[in-house]
Amino acid sequence: MKFDEDPRMRVSRKILALAWLFFSLYLAAIMGLSFTVGTEPYLWGLPRWVAIGNIIVPVVFVLLLIFVAERFIPDVPMTEDTGDTEEER
Amino acid sequence: MNWAIVSFLAYTGILIAIGVWSYRIVEKVPITKYENEFYAAGRGLGGVVVALIIAGGLASAGTFIAGPGMTYAYGYSWVLINNFQIFMNLLLLAPIGIIVGIVARRVNAVTYLDIFRARYQSKAIIVILTIFVTVFLLPYMATQFVGAARVIARMTGMGYLTSLALGSLVVLVYCVLGGMRGTSLATLIQGIVITVGCIVLFVGTVVYAGGFQRSTEILAAQDTNFLSPTMGGAFPPMFAFSLACLTGYFIVGMPHAMLGALTYKNTRALKRGIWMGAILVLLWTLLLCMAGVIGRSLVPDLAVPDEIAPWLAMHVVPEALGGIVLAGIVAGIQTTVAAMAIIITSSIASNLLRELKPDVSAEKVKFASRLTMGACLAIAIGFALLQPRLIQWIIFFSIGGLVTATFGPILLGLFWKRGNQWGAIASICWGMVVYGLANTIVPQMSLWGTHPSFVAVISSVIVYVLVSSATPPPSEEIARTFWGKR
Repeated sequence: MKFDEDPRMRVSRKILALAWLFFSLYLAAIMGLSFTVGTEPYLWGLPRWVAIGNIIVPVVFVLLLIFVAERFIPDVPMTEDTGDTEEER
Repeated sequence: MNWAIVSFLAYTGILIAIGVWSYRIVEKVPITKYENEFYAAGRGLGGVVVALIIAGGLASAGTFIAGPGMTYAYGYSWVLINNFQIFMNLLLLAPIGIIVGIVARRVNAVTYLDIFRARYQSKAIIVILTIFVTVFLLPYMATQFVGAARVIARMTGMGYLTSLALGSLVVLVYCVLGGMRGTSLATLIQGIVITVGCIVLFVGTVVYAGGFQRSTEILAAQDTNFLSPTMGGAFPPMFAFSLACLTGYFIVGMPHAMLGALTYKNTRALKRGIWMGAILVLLWTLLLCMAGVIGRSLVPDLAVPDEIAPWLAMHVVPEALGGIVLAGIVAGIQTTVAAMAIIITSSIASNLLRELKPDVSAEKVKFASRLTMGACLAIAIGFALLQPRLIQWIIFFSIGGLVTATFGPILLGLFWKRGNQWGAIASICWGMVVYGLANTIVPQMSLWGTHPSFVAVISSVIVYVLVSSATPPPSEEIARTFWGKR
């Protein structure tokens, strides 16, 4: 099976790896911290693991995602001709 | 005058108007472009709408009713579990968004199964997937109607049947008349209503409870397990991890979530869909789930935990704002139903019909689309009359079945050139058998206390690889279509 691979497929594979890596780091952070930091009162009187694992970590990762998506996902043309300007309607 | 009913009826009126307006647009489209418009909204949706379609489609009654219900019943442990779903848009659009977008334009795919058709060129796969998608989505849709009806009934005092009719018929109107065009516009308005409703409910609950510290002290006095990340061992880390896989890595197989990947306009819309979706799901999930736990400190003795969200809406916020919360919760459910209705209809009226009758006319497909959508919604409403009690477990069962059937064939089909139709068929059948057994007579197949979908998905992926490797590779034409340079 010999053919020239569309370069956008390599981009697609990289984004798959990026997304799964990002989610894996999120899972490691949220589960790792939630199961280890304890239940003593912390932020606003919430248990420490709730404040950190349920609020701070998700918010930080969502903010991080804005940067990651805009910085690491390139604009690629969706049609075959390279003249696709990718203009937002 | 009941302001909750007034504001909810106003919201419902807007949705009906959207349905009629979309119907006029769709009717003006030439018959040759009808499917593209009805199922993919002309493939021209921007980032905000794509974000809302995927987020609203995946965040169902499980988030808006059962989410706070579960945190009410199991404390902060279930907030942690629900937080796994925050990156659904990322895990759907990033892995397959670009490749599906490119291939969909190459083969003019407007439905979920069009992608499978192009990749595997197998009538059997279309038939099998249509059956499983319908079997798992119909009860899933029914649970959404049940959830909506319960909330409306609880908050307005209307009977269950009247509430069911009010919550479901409006979806019927804008889906059947407007297709994806009507659904996308309705979803945009619903997204705003959902978000405002969640914020109002959360703020009202925290203020009413006297703050986090006071509610935490009351919860500790009731049962210290409410403050534990595992609910005192009831939800061990491995169980939590399997649910993280179900609503995380495996979500790529969810058919109704694929709508966003088929309809976005360009990669700028895709990127916005990814991060805006995360913000929205974070807001919806965190605010409602936290409200559910805090609600436990206010009313510890609700017979049905799923009723905590409507209870809070009735007691902790002013009546008129309660109507917005009600509309928000119902809107969250309606977006899910609409996405599911589009998927089932496209599977049956477009893909299955064309497989069985290749020379069917575009006019007949158009008629069949509306007929099928109406019939599916009517069946789901019929199921909802049965009023199942534990909708969260039905939702998990349906999601598990859907991802078991589709995860391997869609992900490996898009990224592994050697994957073929035999691997896909074997994977689907194997996964369904394992999932069925693990849910019924052999529960010990769910290893290490994981959700049954975990073993079913992992083993079906292995079967896909083994069978594909042992059978002839797909044709060069398929390889060029999916990965070749044009």
